[in-house]
Amino acid sequence: METLNALPVWSQWLIGFFILLGSVFAFIGSLGLALLPDFFTRLHAPTKNTTLGIGGIVIASIIATSVQGSVTLSELLIAIFLFLTAPISAHIMAKAALHTELKMFSRTRDYRQKGDAYEHEKAD
Amino acid sequence: MNLLFIIMAPLFGALLPLLFKRTPRAVQTLITLAVPLSCIAVLLNYAPATFAGDVPKQFVEWLPALGLNFALRLDGLSLLFVSLILGIGVLIIGYAHYYLSRDDDEGRFYACLLLFMASMLGIVMADNILLMWAFWELTSISSFLLIGYWFHSSDARRGARMALATTGAGGLALLAGLLLIGNIAGSYQFDAVLAAADTIKNHDYYATALVLVLLGAFTKSAQFPFQFWLPHAMAAPTPVSAYLHSATMVKAGIFLLARFHPVLGGTEMWLTIVTVVGLITMLVGAYFALLKHDLKGLLAFSTVSHLGLICMLLGIGTEGAIVAALFHIINHACFKAALFMTAGIIDHESGTRDMRKLQGLMGLMPLTATLAMVVAASMAGIPPFNGFMSKELFLDQAVQQHLFGGLSWFVPILATVGAALSVAYSIRFIHDVFFNGDYKELPKKPHDPPRMMSAPVAILAIMCIAIGLAPMTMVSGILDVAASSVTNASTTVKLSLWHGFNLPLLMSFVAVVAGILIYAARDQLFTFNRQFDGQDAKHNFERIVQRISDRAAQLFDRLDTGSLQRYVAFVLISVIVIMLPSLIDLSAITGGKPQQPIDVVSMVGAIVLIAAAFATATLHRNRFVMLMMLSVVGLMVSLAFAHFSAPDLAMTQLVVEVVSIVLMILALFFMPQKTARASSGHRVFRDIIIASFIGGIVATLNFAILTSPAESISDFFIANAKIGGGGTNVVNVILVDFRGFDTLGEITVLAIAAAGIHKLLNKLKPFMPSSDVDGRPWHRIKHPLMLTNVANLVLPMAMMVAVYIFLRGHNLPGGGFIAGLIAASAMILQYIANGVDWVKGRFNVNYQSLMSIGVMIAALTGLGSWLFSKPFLTSWFTYLKWPVVGKWEFATALLFDLGVFLTVIGATMMILSNFGKMTTRHRPTYEGN
Repeated sequence: METLNALPVWSQWLIGFFILLGSVFAFIGSLGLALLPDFFTRLHAPTKNTTLGIGGIVIASIIATSVQGSVTLSELLIAIFLFLTAPISAHIMAKAALHTELKMFSRTRDYRQKGDAYEHEKAD
Repeated sequence: MNLLFIIMAPLFGALLPLLFKRTPRAVQTLITLAVPLSCIAVLLNYAPATFAGDVPKQFVEWLPALGLNFALRLDGLSLLFVSLILGIGVLIIGYAHYYLSRDDDEGRFYACLLLFMASMLGIVMADNILLMWAFWELTSISSFLLIGYWFHSSDARRGARMALATTGAGGLALLAGLLLIGNIAGSYQFDAVLAAADTIKNHDYYATALVLVLLGAFTKSAQFPFQFWLPHAMAAPTPVSAYLHSATMVKAGIFLLARFHPVLGGTEMWLTIVTVVGLITMLVGAYFALLKHDLKGLLAFSTVSHLGLICMLLGIGTEGAIVAALFHIINHACFKAALFMTAGIIDHESGTRDMRKLQGLMGLMPLTATLAMVVAASMAGIPPFNGFMSKELFLDQAVQQHLFGGLSWFVPILATVGAALSVAYSIRFIHDVFFNGDYKELPKKPHDPPRMMSAPVAILAIMCIAIGLAPMTMVSGILDVAASSVTNASTTVKLSLWHGFNLPLLMSFVAVVAGILIYAARDQLFTFNRQFDGQDAKHNFERIVQRISDRAAQLFDRLDTGSLQRYVAFVLISVIVIMLPSLIDLSAITGGKPQQPIDVVSMVGAIVLIAAAFATATLHRNRFVMLMMLSVVGLMVSLAFAHFSAPDLAMTQLVVEVVSIVLMILALFFMPQKTARASSGHRVFRDIIIASFIGGIVATLNFAILTSPAESISDFFIANAKIGGGGTNVVNVILVDFRGFDTLGEITVLAIAAAGIHKLLNKLKPFMPSSDVDGRPWHRIKHPLMLTNVANLVLPMAMMVAVYIFLRGHNLPGGGFIAGLIAASAMILQYIANGVDWVKGRFNVNYQSLMSIGVMIAALTGLGSWLFSKPFLTSWFTYLKWPVVGKWEFATALLFDLGVFLTVIGATMMILSNFGKMTTRHRPTYEGN
């Protein structure tokens, strides 16, 4: 806490903003995971969580360490890893869910029924 | 040249026949022969000193802390045995060259024979009784190899096993006895033991030590009631029987008796046990020898009988008896080796050893018959052969002894009976085979063997005659010194063929006549014996062994039910039982250290942890959910580490969590998604009680330790990490430096465990589900494009992170273990995304080698400190200036950590890739594809 207090005031504001931003997105993501009605919509929520939520906190961390003098970008790696892997895992989970034909909420739209894309894929 | 050569030459020479395996057999034989011949040359160098009354010695310190030294002596007794072992060994090697068939592996035979020779020489020359025991065991092992030489035959295998079990058990008894003796004497050097003879004889443990030593000697020498193994060892090739079971191996027991006679002998107990056992053995052996139809069986039992005779003489223990015993050792070696070789020749030439089939061979193999008659006459104790003289001496001793008071007259009578039986089976050997009617059809038409095959027999037969005719010139010299070293006083031996008319001569005469009569009446004897219906010692032995192993298996089955719950319950209940009393004794568990306030984060973390653990246990029947809950537990634990300032542990825990969950999900693939309810209600109740008890105990202990103000050793590590180990990351410095040896052990265990898992999975053909639980087939796209692309992108980045974490490990959180796991998980991602075959095609590293290289690097780093004469695993560090990077510390601990890194990658990948391999092979394909 003392180290944070020693930082310039503008950076404290900036850091605080990003932490708050990250936390809000993390909270929204978790809330969505808990409240949304079916797997597909639920899948939607935590992706916000991992990208924007953690992204905000990572940016805050970068600012905090940079103002203290040592510019370290190793936190960026965390962001890069997350941006790479989170969408992919969501994608794979969605594929698995489609394959196992999980129950859908009435308003979740399934484009496979009418779209040509699926027929095209099937023909492969 | 020194005495060591005599043992070391055959010991290392045993490799020669194996190295020259591809050369012609004659060359192999010559090379093998060179070994004992060179030993004889060295022996001749030393023999004059021994004859002069000195004892040449050799002393090399080996394990002084155990009192075990490589000490050799060559006193008279040793000289006698060494000459026998080497001399007969030479003849046997020459004989075996002709005996072994084209299909037999001559190199292996000679190697085992030389190994056996070395161990036998070791026994007789050892000046340290522990060293002697070591060689004693070596004879058991090498004779096992020799008896089981024809390992394709079940008889040979069983005979070998029986010999090993019996002599091995005796060897253990002997070790116990020797340790007792050594403890009483205060040293294991033979001279010290000899000097302490009186102390030993008056010691409380004398009886125990004596019985143990005698057990060793009696099992080895096949004395009653351990005589059963020797005849079954006859499944060995005949040269082995001739060597091991007439001249050497069984003589080891006799040697032991002679060697320890001055130390343990002369007491009432020694006299009674040794003499009586010897007498019984002599009679039992002789009786069974007469009944055997197999030539080698007859000879085997006659060996038992003659060993009994020698044993009895050593029991009597007077100077005359000792001389007679030693003399008979020489004579027996001569005629018995020759007889075995003759039996081998007959078997080799005619194709059978059954005396009921053999007859009238005199005309077909006259030379063999003549030689056989000479040596058999020697065995029967017919003048003028050497056997006659030692038998006379024996009968004389039997007459002279007064061991059993008023019943002493039994002994000469029984001795005469033994001698008569001996005559009878000798006649049987000759008459049944060579005479007894005309030649009948046999598997092969016999004829005299090649000249060189008969040569060893001829040499021994000549020895029999020469010793018989001129005993003083032939053997008195060696008998003098040998007897002196047994009786511990200077002895002069007087031998002559003609003793004048006396009682022993009369007994001999009676024995010969009785022997002829017994032989004539042998049919009645066979009929008489038939009513005891042949109990085969081998079957009895097997039955006993079988019963013991069945019992053991039963007991084992009861303990080891294969139920994991049961094992855990055993362990936990023992913990409770051990812990409870001391915890009850504890008056207060608070140690007085102030308790820290609890914060909200820890509180919430703890609640989640508890809830997840509870869910894991209650939801265990739904395996997938259970795994998820388990991973929550793991993540909470790693968060707890991070929260309480243990970043290294947090990182390790996190990666371990990832890797193990992946592993378990792979395992889930082969298992039903849900487990049936397996435990009964009261079982669950029992488990809950045990679990809560353990939980309570662990919590109590934790609380007690955390609140006690005791100083821990962590201050030392914190203070010394930088100055002593050159790193600021205390955890890593402890791992690779302070407790580097522990880590070395741990990675070795890890490697062994991985190898074990590899082996277990290797041939496992698990059930391959072709669809999931709902009967839905697997998705047709095995490796989704997006996943493979991202995995390929992540791999180099993850490797970079791993290297970074590895390099900074000494000073900041990280290190080889974590880095290894990170690299491994990136590799696992490759396997998951692209499949085993894809990875194999691009990165074909043998994980076993990777793992072994890791362990080796770590061990070699440790050994490296020896080069600078520092203790194992001493570390060294310096600071290097690198371009770009700047000042950077280099420590040998980093090398060690590299070993850890590689081992962890190798072990993890080995386990996971093996598991993964099983899931991908023969994978069902999508229909219509």
